[in-house]
Amino acid sequence: MAAYKEIIFAGSGGQGVLTVGLLMAEMALFKGLHATWIPQYGSAMRGGTANCTVKFSESYIYNPSQEEADLLLAMNEPSFQKFLPMVKEGGTIVINSDLVDPAKCTRTDVKLIAVPCSSMAKELGHMLGANIIMAGVVVKATGEFTEEEALNGMNQVFRKKGKEKYETLNSSALRAGFGFI
Amino acid sequence: MSTVKGEMIKGNEAIAEAAIRAGARFYAGYPITPSSEIMEYMSWRLKEVGGAFVQAESEIAGINMIIGSAACGVRSITASSGPGISLKQEGMTTLSDEELPAVVVNVVRYGNGIGTLLSAQCDYHRETRGGGNGDYRCIVLCPASVQEAADLTVEAFDLAEKYRMVSVLMTEGALGQMMEPCVLPEMQAPKRFEWGFDGKYTNKKIGIFDRDSMKEAVALNAKYNKVKETEQRWEAQHIEDADYVFVAYGMPGRATIGAVEQLRAEGHKVGYIRPITAWPFPEKAFEQVNPDVKGYISIEANATGQLVDDIALTVMRQGKKKGSDCSGGSCPAPVYCNPHVYGVPSTKAIMEDYAKVLSGEMKEVY
Repeated sequence: MAAYKEIIFAGSGGQGVLTVGLLMAEMALFKGLHATWIPQYGSAMRGGTANCTVKFSESYIYNPSQEEADLLLAMNEPSFQKFLPMVKEGGTIVINSDLVDPAKCTRTDVKLIAVPCSSMAKELGHMLGANIIMAGVVVKATGEFTEEEALNGMNQVFRKKGKEKYETLNSSALRAGFGFI
Repeated sequence: MSTVKGEMIKGNEAIAEAAIRAGARFYAGYPITPSSEIMEYMSWRLKEVGGAFVQAESEIAGINMIIGSAACGVRSITASSGPGISLKQEGMTTLSDEELPAVVVNVVRYGNGIGTLLSAQCDYHRETRGGGNGDYRCIVLCPASVQEAADLTVEAFDLAEKYRMVSVLMTEGALGQMMEPCVLPEMQAPKRFEWGFDGKYTNKKIGIFDRDSMKEAVALNAKYNKVKETEQRWEAQHIEDADYVFVAYGMPGRATIGAVEQLRAEGHKVGYIRPITAWPFPEKAFEQVNPDVKGYISIEANATGQLVDDIALTVMRQGKKKGSDCSGGSCPAPVYCNPHVYGVPSTKAIMEDYAKVLSGEMKEVY
């Protein structure tokens, strides 16, 4: 893998982007990699914008802050517009196509993956699982994880938090995302 | 495969848990972003271990409660950020005067006055010089990772008690808020120090007119000189043959190491010194630097450049030791600084600073 991977998770407060970012970091850690998670903090609140940057690497991460992203997850339109310029040339952008219009992507040097995650979550009967579906898409898009590694990493996090009762639903959401691309 | 150990935890929470494990049993303070998680964590955690927690009516009240608990020989800690620490200065100078140990955490945020919420290093001068009235110093520890934040919290208590001083853990908003794997320190049994008040008036009463300031000044200098001699801490690499040496602490320090590794890989003779104690300043680290070094570059997150002053003082002092003066063309090496104001400078930005020094575009500060 490259020196490190940098991923921005962005959306509106309450969409679970900070959790998805943490899941990604935990999956990397579960795999024995170095990982950092750093949020935008302070004035962010429910209904406002929220974002975090995750980096993972086989070697120590010297700079955990946002530099140039390999991948962006944009859960809503304002996040998409704000972080579109931060993605590296040849990078990947994953959008929630239920809320973001793929036609509005002004860049041609990036790969765009449109995922109707809100609709998919509804179909799965896991309305709050849209972010987990996206975790599946993102982890697959990094190209560094198998589905099993991702699942085990995620489930371990929820077990530690005592939230294993949602394991079946979360697992199916993660699989749906992983299998989407 | 790498050997990454520990669990993901926020910098602020790692500090709080490390304090508990170091035997801290009293916290009093007032919340402020980006330090509040320390207080929030303490609010439930201290109760679990039989300690006491007070959400004080103000920072001033909080630090005065710390004076009380420290006087009773209990490991005590408070935390705040920029303007909140300003309010604590009166208490910190009192703690220093009474030679009471305590740990004060400053999760530094940017700005004068009420400031902003941005991560920064703008409180360097205040923390390293003693920000209250009088003439005192605090031991200032600057972590660059969540692991180091946890480890230095324990060390902060040990040093505070060893020298009967205030230890300041000078961390930054970004480090307080970020998560990375960390192995928390071992749980220690809390202890009460025998010199603390016991409620029975066993301590000798010393009134303000019983004090001899001349004698106290001698003792104070002896103590501070001992701290300077024995407690300097730093991390350094590639400095023996370096043409240019970067100096940076905390998160910018960590980012600087990444930039130095990259520059080395590209064949540039650069090295770094990352102060872990900002006071005492790690002057000893500079003794290992290539005597023909062409310059020092300070990377810091504030508006005016502060760390750069300590680098320049150290370089000048060492130049004097070596007997060099400017007459024979052997002036102390120039010291450069491009303050990045706030945040953590990117690897690219640090490498650009270096290019500007080489090209002559960036002029030396000293």
